[in-house]
Amino acid sequence: MRTHFRNALAAFVLLTLCFAGQLRAETKQPAKMKASAIEVKMIPSDELTLPPEFQVSLYENLIEQLRKSAVFPRVYRDGDRNAGNVADLITLECTVVKFKKGNETLREVTTIAGATSMTLRCEFTDSDGNSILVRDITGKVRFFGSKLKATYDFAKKAAKVADENFSSGTARS
Amino acid sequence: MILRINTLVIAVALFFCSPLMRTAHAQQVQAETQAVQVVGFAGLKENTKGRLTVVNGTLRFVHAKGNADVAAASIEDVVTGKDSQRVIGGTFGTVASLAAPYGSGSALPLLRKKVDTLTIQYRDADGGLHGAIFTMPRGKAEQIKKELVAQGAHTSVPILAGFMKSLGDSREEKR
Repeated sequence: MRTHFRNALAAFVLLTLCFAGQLRAETKQPAKMKASAIEVKMIPSDELTLPPEFQVSLYENLIEQLRKSAVFPRVYRDGDRNAGNVADLITLECTVVKFKKGNETLREVTTIAGATSMTLRCEFTDSDGNSILVRDITGKVRFFGSKLKATYDFAKKAAKVADENFSSGTARS
Repeated sequence: MILRINTLVIAVALFFCSPLMRTAHAQQVQAETQAVQVVGFAGLKENTKGRLTVVNGTLRFVHAKGNADVAAASIEDVVTGKDSQRVIGGTFGTVASLAAPYGSGSALPLLRKKVDTLTIQYRDADGGLHGAIFTMPRGKAEQIKKELVAQGAHTSVPILAGFMKSLGDSREEKR
């Protein structure tokens, strides 16, 4: 009798855990917005003095990572005339919120100090100019690597955010 | 005998003309330097080594697999900067600084050389904005920038202001 009860209890607990896991997985994935193209705007350096090499590196890495992630079939550069013909175009504008230029020598000698870090507010807008997603994303380089590695870190995270929230609506190759 | 004299005259004439030919060639290629393309040029890997030249209104990056050209007139902004990089860099430098005995590897990052950076922003045929960053030996970036501006490139930092800034930087370094 006791064995039956124990087995039934174990089965119940297992089933409950399975359902809970499934439910959590379902709630974690919000419905993805569909878009076939994105236009990446150049990062402005007016508000916080962002060195030009960081500005360019952020922009180029962002385009490269978005292309690699293949969330959007087409990734347009700032000012590309072809972007004007796309109906469901998403525009990505990033502004610098926080920027700390580290020190590569200090970083490599001490491994605890001299980190370069930057936080950018990334705003995704639709073709009507309505804001559809805003995220603060931080890029860092802590131990080894040049200061521009922080821009690569940021771009990877930004592409991940895009992947989590957007889909092209077509099967990925 | 006459043939010999003619040959001699031609040889002497060529000898005296050769410096002029060299001068003409130098005018065509006005600024040239070793450079590393850090990021930006399409189809090129990061940290590709090559030579950067300004020829006939074009910024040309010559690397092992070919050339990459950008018209000076399409450059919206050209900015120079100063930086430093490890003398012993790359994977070898990283492994050596980690693996050297008694923590002596920590001294490796202190061996650094000063370099110039050249950052450009330009438009392609569709109007799309591109950016590229180069590093090069100290003192060369300003020369390239001057050539580019002379051939139609735009800059947000005028050359005189850039010169004054670099003068201020070097004074601070001396202190």
